[in-house]
Amino acid sequence: MEQVLKLRNLKVIFPSHGGIIRAVEGVDLDIHQGESVALVGESGCGKSVTSQSVMRLIESPPAITRLDTLEFNGKDIKNYTHKQMQDIRGKEMSMIFQDAMTSLNPVMTCGKQIDEMYIRHKGVSKKEAREYTIEALKLVGMPEPRSRAKNFPHELSGGMRQRVLLAMAFACLPKLIIADEPTTALDVTIQAQVLNVLRNMQKKHDMSLLLITHDLSVVSNIADIVYVMYSGKIVEKASVEDIFHEPYHPYTRGLIASVPKLSDTEKEFSQIPGTVPHPMKKPNGCYFHPRCQHATKQCKKAMPPLISVGKNHEVRCHHPLKDMKKEGKA
Amino acid sequence: MSKDRNQDPILTMRNVSVNFPVKGGLPFLKKGIIQAVTDVSLKIKRGETFGIVGESGCGKTTLANAMIGMVKPTSGEVIFNGKNLYKIKRDDFKKTRRHMQMIFQDPFSSLNPRFNVYQIISEPMFIRGEDDEETMKERVVELLKLVGLSPNDLYRYPSDFSGGQRQRLGIARSIILNPEFLVCDEPVSALDVSVHAQILNLLTDIQKQMKLSYVFISHNLAVVKNVCDSMIVMYLGKIMESGNSETIFKNPLHPYTHALLAAVLDTTIRKDRKQVILKGDIPSPINPPKGCRFWQRCPYAMEGCKTIPPENIEVEKAHVVACHHVNGFPEIELPKDYKNKVNMEEDS
Amino acid sequence: MKNKLSIKHRILQEILKRLKNIGLFLKRIWSHKQGKIGLTVVTLLVLIAIFAPWIAPFDPYDVSDRTLKGLPPSTTHLLGTTLNTGQDIFSMLIYGTRISLIVGVTSGICIALVGSILGVMAGYIGGAVDSLIMRIVDIMLVIPTLPLVIVLTNVFGRDYWIIILIFVALGWTGLSRTIRSLVLVLKNSNYVKAAELAGASRWHIMIRHILPGTSHLLIMSTALSSAGIMVAEAGLSFLGLGDPTAISWGKMLADAQGGGALLFGAWWWIIAPGVGIFLAVFSFMRIGIVMEEILNPRMKQSSGVYKIFKNLNSAYVEDVFNSMDDNQKIGITAATESKRKGKEETDGTGIET
Repeated sequence: MEQVLKLRNLKVIFPSHGGIIRAVEGVDLDIHQGESVALVGESGCGKSVTSQSVMRLIESPPAITRLDTLEFNGKDIKNYTHKQMQDIRGKEMSMIFQDAMTSLNPVMTCGKQIDEMYIRHKGVSKKEAREYTIEALKLVGMPEPRSRAKNFPHELSGGMRQRVLLAMAFACLPKLIIADEPTTALDVTIQAQVLNVLRNMQKKHDMSLLLITHDLSVVSNIADIVYVMYSGKIVEKASVEDIFHEPYHPYTRGLIASVPKLSDTEKEFSQIPGTVPHPMKKPNGCYFHPRCQHATKQCKKAMPPLISVGKNHEVRCHHPLKDMKKEGKA
Repeated sequence: MSKDRNQDPILTMRNVSVNFPVKGGLPFLKKGIIQAVTDVSLKIKRGETFGIVGESGCGKTTLANAMIGMVKPTSGEVIFNGKNLYKIKRDDFKKTRRHMQMIFQDPFSSLNPRFNVYQIISEPMFIRGEDDEETMKERVVELLKLVGLSPNDLYRYPSDFSGGQRQRLGIARSIILNPEFLVCDEPVSALDVSVHAQILNLLTDIQKQMKLSYVFISHNLAVVKNVCDSMIVMYLGKIMESGNSETIFKNPLHPYTHALLAAVLDTTIRKDRKQVILKGDIPSPINPPKGCRFWQRCPYAMEGCKTIPPENIEVEKAHVVACHHVNGFPEIELPKDYKNKVNMEEDS
Repeated sequence: MKNKLSIKHRILQEILKRLKNIGLFLKRIWSHKQGKIGLTVVTLLVLIAIFAPWIAPFDPYDVSDRTLKGLPPSTTHLLGTTLNTGQDIFSMLIYGTRISLIVGVTSGICIALVGSILGVMAGYIGGAVDSLIMRIVDIMLVIPTLPLVIVLTNVFGRDYWIIILIFVALGWTGLSRTIRSLVLVLKNSNYVKAAELAGASRWHIMIRHILPGTSHLLIMSTALSSAGIMVAEAGLSFLGLGDPTAISWGKMLADAQGGGALLFGAWWWIIAPGVGIFLAVFSFMRIGIVMEEILNPRMKQSSGVYKIFKNLNSAYVEDVFNSMDDNQKIGITAATESKRKGKEETDGTGIET
C-alpha cells in the first residue's frame, strides 16, 4: 500500500500568559492509501492541533512547531510555502470541521461555495462547476440537490450543512480527508447518516481518512487503524479489532467502557476517574498515572516509551494490561 | 410525608400544547405558528427519573420549560405537587418553583463568565434573601465536595474549568435550594464521551441522596436506557411512544423508536455493515404534517397515516403507542411482518 | 425590614467592588504603551483645565492693550497674540482646555448613561417599550444633524450646557442600539435563565447580570464618544454656533480665520488650537483603543500572545521540546527537569522580561 501521509515527531507548544502549553509532544502518524485512521482522545489532548499541523494550518505565532518529517503523497511538504500549501489544500487533502455553521460562508449560497472548489482546482467554467456541484450533492445524499444548492447555509438544517461540507471536501476527490469531529454536534439519527456517507465515499474512491473524535463508538463504525492520544502523546496504536478486543492501555479500556451501550444493564456507568491534566501542569512520569488504577512507583517517575506488543500494536505503558476479562473493565 | 402523598405524581401534565407565533418580515403580519408541543399528557412519579427522548426540534426542551414554569402553555394544565402552575398566585408560584431546578446542556453558556465559583453557586441562595456570607460559603463548600470539586476552587472563574467540571458547577447551583424536581436538559451531550459516565453517575448519586425526581432529556437512547424509570419518545411535538422504560426497550413498537435504537452507535465493530438509518431530517414544526406526524420519514407509511392522526393506545401495562400499525386503522389490517420490517431499509 | 437594609448594603458593596475594578482597570490600561500615552496626556489636560487661572500668564479675555496686537511667539507671550485684539494665545489655549474637556467628557458620560438606560430598557423589557425606543432611534438617525443643531442653538441659545444637551440628545441613539442587541443576547443566556428559575426579580437580573455584561461597551463608548464630541464641538464653534462668550479651541480657530491669520502669516494663531484639539482627541482615542483591546477577549489574546512570543527565551523553548523526546524520558527527571525548575524559579514562566 502506498503511504499517503508520514508524520514524524510532531511537537507543538503554545506560549501563553501562565507558561507554555504543551499541546503535542512527539506524535508519529502513518496513513496509507485507502485506509481510515482515527485519532481518539478527550478535548485538550492535542488531537485537533495534530490534524491541523498536518494541513499546516497552525500559525506561528502563537504556536511553535517542530517536526522531523512531514511527507504527503511522497512529497516532503515540511517546508512548503503558504502558496504551495494552498494548491494542495482542497485538491489533494481537505478538511471537514465540526461546526458546519462557522466553516461555511454565511453570505454565499452553498452551491456557490462548492462551485469555487471546482473552478479553483479543476479550472472549469461556472456552468460546468454547477453541474459537478449538483452531482457531488447527490453523492452525499442531499435531497433535491439542484434547489438546495441555491440555499444559504442558515436555511439548511445541521445535517444538511454537514453534507454540504462533505460535498466540498470530496469535491476534488482528494487523497486524504481530515474530518475533525464531523458528527459531534448532530443528533444520533443524523450522525448515522453522515457517517454512512463519509464511509461510503471514502471506500468508493479509495481515499484515506483521518478521523478526529472523542467518541469511540464512531470509531468502531468507520476506522481501520486507531491512535489513542492522551495529553499530547500517543498512548496506544493498533488496528480497530485490536483496540476493541485487546486493549492494552488502561486509558483505552476506560474510554471503551465509558461509551454508553444499549446492552448495558447496570445503573452505574463505568467511568475514568479524574480529569485530563492541565496542559501547563502535566504530572511527572506517565501523564495518565493520577487517573490509573494500576499506577506504580515507576509510573510516577518515568514516562513509558511506546513499546510494541503485537503486530502493528504499540502501547505506551509500563504495565500493559493483557487479559481484559481478568482485569475487568478497567 | 404521608404514604398517600408519596404515591401522588409530583408533576402531571394534561393536554399541554405550546405554540409560538412566527413573525414575518412585515410588522403585525403573522407568518405562522410553530406547534412546538401538541397535546401532551404525562405523569411523573415522585422519586423517579423520567426520560424525554427525541431529535433536536422535536419540542422536548419546550416541554421541559413548560414543566418548570418558564414557558406558558397555550392550552392544557401543568400540576406540580397538586398546584396548577399557571393558575396560582404570583407569590405562590415563586414558592412552588423553588422546588424546581434545571441543568443546562451547554456548560459554557450557562455560567456567567464574570462570576467566580462561589458567586455562581450561591446565587440562588442570594436571590432567596440569604445574606449571611458564612452560611452561604459553608453550603457552597459542602456542595463543591458533593459534586467532586475542591473547596480551593471557590474563587476561580468558569474559564479555568473543563467542560465536565463546569457541568459539575451547574449541578451544584441547581441543587443548592434543595429542590424536589430537577430537569436535566441534555446534561452530557456537549461533553466528551469519557466524561458522560462521571456526570451521569454523579446525577444518580445525588438523586439517591436527596430523593429527587428527575426529568432527563436526551437524544441518545443508550444514555436514557439505564438512567430512566419511565420515558416518552417525542417527534415533532407529539408523544409517539410512552411508558415504563424497561418495557419500551424490551418491546419497542413505534417505527420511530426503532429508528432511534438503530442509530445508537456502540463499540461493536461493524465496518461493512449496511447501517440501518432513518432518512431525511425532522420537518419544520411550522406546518407539521396532518395525520401521523412521522409519516414522511416512516418506511411504513400508508395512505391512512397521511390524513388520520393515530390515537394513543395502551398496548400493554404502562406502554402507550401512537401508531396506526399497532392500533390498526378502523378499516385496514395490520401487516403481519411489520415488526421485522420496520425501518430495516438499507442505505446504498 | 432586615431584608431591605441588606439589599441597600449589597448594592453599596457592589458599587464599592465596581470602584475597585475601575482602579484595576486603569492599571491595566497603564500597562499598554498606547494607554500610557493616552492616560498621561488626559491627566495633563485635566490638570491644566482645573488649574487654568494659575497656569495662564495673562487674562485670555483681556482685549484692552491694543499695542500687543499680532505679536509672534516670544518669552513673554509663549504662543504670541491675536492679530485683531491682542489676546495672549497661550492663555486662551489653556482656558480652551476647560471647554473642550467639559463638553467632551460630560457629553460622553451622559451619552453612556442615557444610551445604556434606554438600551437596557428596550432590550430587557421588550414589547411596546422596545418598539417605542427603537422607533425614536430610527427617527433620530435619519434627521440631518447639522441643520438640527443650527435650529436648536438658535432657539435655545448658545450656552455650553445647551450644546451638551444637544450632543447627548443626538448621540445616545447608536449606543443604545448596540447595547440593546447585547442585552438581547445576555437575556437569553442560560445563566440568566438559571437566575430566573431561582426566583430572581427583574432588578436582580438587570443589576447582577445584564448591566455588568454591558459595562465594557459603556466604558469604551465613553472614551470614544468624548473624543468625537470634542471634534464636533470645535466644528460647531468654528461655524460660529458655539457659546460666543467662552473661549474654546474651535472658536479660536474661527477667530483666526476671521481675523486673517492666514493672510498675515500668523501661523501661531492657527497651530496652537489645532494642536490642542489634536492632543485631546488623540489621547482619548488611544485610551478607547486600548480599552477595546483589554475588553475584547479576542483582541486581548492575540496581542498578549504576540508580546509573550517576542520575549520567549529560546533556550527554554529548546528545553521544553527536548523534554518531550521519548529517549530522553528517563533523563527528563534528572537533568532537564532540574534545569527547567531552576529557570522557573528565576522568572516564573521562563519568559524574559
